[in-house]
Amino acid sequence: MDFVETDEHRDLRAAVASVSAPYGGDYYVDHARRGAECTELWHALGDAGYVGVSVPEAYGGGGGGLVELALVCEETAAAGAPMLLLLVTHAISAAVIAEYGTEEQRKEWLPGLASGRDKVVFAITEPGAGSNTHQLATNARREGDEWVIRGEKYYISGVDEAEALLLVARTGTDARGKAQLSLFLVPTDADGLQKVPLPVDVLLPEKQFTLRFDDVRVPASALVGDENQGFRQVFHGLNPERITGAALCVGIARYALAKATRYANDREVWGRPIGTHQGVSHPLAKAKIETELAALMTQKAAWLHDRGLPAGEASNMAKYAAAEAALAACDAAMQTHGGNGVSQEFGLLPYWGLARLLRIAPVNREMVLNFVAQTTLGLPRSY
Amino acid sequence: MNIVVLIKQVPDTWSERKLSDGDKTLDRASSDAVLDEINERAVEEALKIKEAGDAEVTILTAGPDRATDAIRKALSMGADKAVHVNDEAIHGSDAIATAKVLAKAIGTVGDVDLVLAGNEATDGRSGAMAGMLGELLGWPSLTHANELTVENGTAKAKRETDEGTSDLEASLPAVVSVGEKINEPRYPSFKGIMAAKKKPVTTLGIADLGLDASEVGLAGSLVQVDSFAPRPPKSGGQKVEDEGDGGAKIAEYLVGQKLI
Repeated sequence: MDFVETDEHRDLRAAVASVSAPYGGDYYVDHARRGAECTELWHALGDAGYVGVSVPEAYGGGGGGLVELALVCEETAAAGAPMLLLLVTHAISAAVIAEYGTEEQRKEWLPGLASGRDKVVFAITEPGAGSNTHQLATNARREGDEWVIRGEKYYISGVDEAEALLLVARTGTDARGKAQLSLFLVPTDADGLQKVPLPVDVLLPEKQFTLRFDDVRVPASALVGDENQGFRQVFHGLNPERITGAALCVGIARYALAKATRYANDREVWGRPIGTHQGVSHPLAKAKIETELAALMTQKAAWLHDRGLPAGEASNMAKYAAAEAALAACDAAMQTHGGNGVSQEFGLLPYWGLARLLRIAPVNREMVLNFVAQTTLGLPRSY
Repeated sequence: MNIVVLIKQVPDTWSERKLSDGDKTLDRASSDAVLDEINERAVEEALKIKEAGDAEVTILTAGPDRATDAIRKALSMGADKAVHVNDEAIHGSDAIATAKVLAKAIGTVGDVDLVLAGNEATDGRSGAMAGMLGELLGWPSLTHANELTVENGTAKAKRETDEGTSDLEASLPAVVSVGEKINEPRYPSFKGIMAAKKKPVTTLGIADLGLDASEVGLAGSLVQVDSFAPRPPKSGGQKVEDEGDGGAKIAEYLVGQKLI
C-alpha cells in the first residue's frame, strides 16, 4: 500500500492551483452573486488541459482518469472556485459518450468537451421521479428515422451554458412495469424544447432549469449506446458524479478552513488571537479531520473506478462524508468569523449554500444511508 | 538551435527565509522550495524560440536532490531534457564558483547557441550569473532583456534597467538574462506534466565536469558570509505633515523610490 502521491499528481495539483489562484474566492463569489457563469476560469483551465483531463487523448483530452478529474475538482474548489458543472459535463457526459457513443458522436462532442469550449449537461431528474429512476416518464418514441421526445425534467444544471443535453428517456417498459431507458444527445436549441429557469435561493454561478419537451425530434443517430440499456449506461456516470461531487466538497472544506484559520490567527480579542480559544479551534480541528477522512475515501473511490473495480460503496461513502465535512467546515468557519461570517466582504455563505446543496445532490444523504444499510450491512430494504 | 536554460530552485518568497547558524548558508529545510519565477520566464522565452523554428531546449541546474522538482516543472512546461549537477561539494559556492560549475556543465550539452537565464534569483540576488558565465565562456552576455529576438545567428535584446533602455545586439553563441517584463510564462499542461517524468535528466557530479572539490563549495569561494542579522522589524515609516503641499511631498517620495 502506498499513500504517497505521485509526482505527476502533486504537479497536477500545483498547476491547477496556480491556474485557479488569479481567480479564486473573490471572482467566484462575485459570479455566484450575479448568477454569471465563470467562463474565464473554465477557459483558462480548458486551455491548460485540465477541464478535459479525463477525456481520451484521441479526442484531444488528457487521457487521464477519474483520479485526475477529481483532483481538478478539488483544487479549483480549494482555490475558492468550485466548478460544479464538471460533475455533469465531464464526470458523466464525457465519460458516457467516450464509453458508449458512436465514433461520430465522439468526434462531434469530445474535442469541445476536452478543450472546455463545449458543454454537455445531464438531464435525468423529473418532478415525478427523483431518486427513483424506474419511474421516469419522459419518453422517446421512434418515428421513421427520428426519435420524438415528450415529457418534463427539472433541476437540470447549466442548460444555458451548454450546447447539448445528455438526456435519459423512457423507450419502453419491462414485464415488471419498470422503465426501460435510453440515452440521447439533444441540442439545447432543439425545436419544441422549452427551458424555464428554476430559481433557487443558493448563490451559484450555475443556473437550474425546468425543461419541457413538446415532441422534440432528434435523428436516430442521437441515441447514445444501446436502446433500452440506458439504466446500465447511466450507472457508468453516476459513481463518477458522486466522486467528483465529493472532491468538490473536500475542496470547499479546505477553502473554508484556510480562511477560518487565517482569521482565527489574525483576529485578536482581549489581547490574543481568537484561535487560542478551544471553543474556536476545536470545531476547526474536527472539520479538518473529517475533511481528510473524506479526501481519503474520495481518492479510494476514484482509484477503484479507474481500475474497473466495484466503486459504488466507496463512491457513496465518499459523497456522504465529503458533504458532511464541507458543511461542518463552512459552519465552523462562519462561526469563527462571528458577524463577519455572514458578511459579503468575507463571502463565506455561498460556499455553505453549495455544501448544503451537495448534501442533497447528486444523491441525497438518506439514499446513501439506505445503500450502506442495505448493501453493506445487509439490513432489510427500506423502500 | 541548441538552447540551455539555467534554472534555480529557491525558497518560496511567501515563506520565511533563513540562513543556517552553522555555515551561514541558506537553510533549505526551513522553507518550501519552488522554481524561481524569473526562470519560468526564461523557459518560456526558450519555448517560444523552439515553437517559432527548430530548437532543442535543455534545462540546467546545480542543486540538491529536491531540485528535481524544479527541473520537472521546467520539463512539464515543454523543455526537452535536463542536466542536474548534484554534488555535496558544491554546497556553499559563491556566484563565481557556481558560474564555473555551470560553464563546465554547459560544455556537456554540445554546441550551444544560446544560454537563457533569469536576471536575478529571489534568494541570492547577486544578479551576476549571466555576466560571469559570458566571461567564463568567452561569449557576449546581454542582460536584463525585456525583449528578445534571435535570428540569423544574432540575438537582439532590449535591455531595461533603472538607468534607461538600450538596444543590444550580439552574435551567437551568447548568454541572455531576462527581466520580469519579457513574457507571461505558460502553465504546465496536463500532457506536459505526464510527459515530464519520461524526459531524460542527466545527473552529474563535479568530477564529471573535470572540477576539483577545492575549486567549488565554501572552500573554493571568494565570498563567504561572515555574520548575519535578521531584518529589523518594520519601523513606523516616514511621516509627512501636510501643510498644503501634501500632494507634492507624496510625489517627491514616490520619485525617490523610483515608483513614478
